[in-house]
Amino acid sequence: MDNLKIEGTKQTPEIDFNSSTGILSISGRSIPENTFEFFNPVLLWLDEFSSIAPEKVIAKINLEYFNTSSSKYILEILKRLRIILKDGKDILVEWYYEEDDEEMMETGEDYEDVSGLPFEIISIDDE
Amino acid sequence: MAKQSIYQSEIENLEESKNFLKKSDYSKLELQMEFKKLVENYEELIDQVKIITKISDRLQKKLNKTNIALEDSNIKLADLNDQLNETIDQLTEAKIGRKAATIVMIVAIALFIVSEAFIEPIIDNMFPNNFLVGLGLKLVVAILIKPGEDFTNKYMLKKARKEQLRESQLSHNNKP
Repeated sequence: MDNLKIEGTKQTPEIDFNSSTGILSISGRSIPENTFEFFNPVLLWLDEFSSIAPEKVIAKINLEYFNTSSSKYILEILKRLRIILKDGKDILVEWYYEEDDEEMMETGEDYEDVSGLPFEIISIDDE
Repeated sequence: MAKQSIYQSEIENLEESKNFLKKSDYSKLELQMEFKKLVENYEELIDQVKIITKISDRLQKKLNKTNIALEDSNIKLADLNDQLNETIDQLTEAKIGRKAATIVMIVAIALFIVSEAFIEPIIDNMFPNNFLVGLGLKLVVAILIKPGEDFTNKYMLKKARKEQLRESQLSHNNKP
């Protein structure tokens, strides 16, 4: 299975999903004009990945800002990770936020509550 | 499988329930199963709406905070810009003041030399015993030094400001 690599822009996040290592990274800003167009390939990739996922999967999410429709797609991504978890795989979601970004930290906590996935909320220093 | 729109999965669930309602006969068990599915879907949808609304409101708050910080930065930047312009004006005025004083001094020295070398002998010839005429002429030159300096200063400042305005308009027009 191919890896999924999408370069980030001012409006879309960088996606770096590696099927062999099981490391799935999303970082940057997510305010696409057409969220479906952007996230559909991501969800399709995850649908395929769920059947061949390695024993350990780490999702690294480091988002600076995202719009409402992106928040729905993040839920969809977490839903697919939940399916992988139910298949008996080891899943960890690493949710990164900048030290002074209280809102993004709380958002990570909300996703943790709703998804039922193991989360690690990690603060990163402002540069 | 990924769906064609953001709420496609929820729309499909609703359609399934609507189609079930259109059926003319169904058993109690079928009805129970369909109702259970509907309740589960509804519950999931409410959970999603709750979380999305909460996150959306929170990120709006973050956006507002960023906007306020940006406005503050803009105000500080505008203040600094004003201070910078004021300093540049003061420096320009001082530079022009020195230049004007030098020009007026050179003109005064030139006038003094001209008056000593060429005008004085003529006055001596015209008024042989009246040294007051020559003295008066020198006095007029001396009195005119200060207004001359002010006039030159004002003229050069006006010219420098026009030049500054032209340059700022040019740089503004060249901005992409």
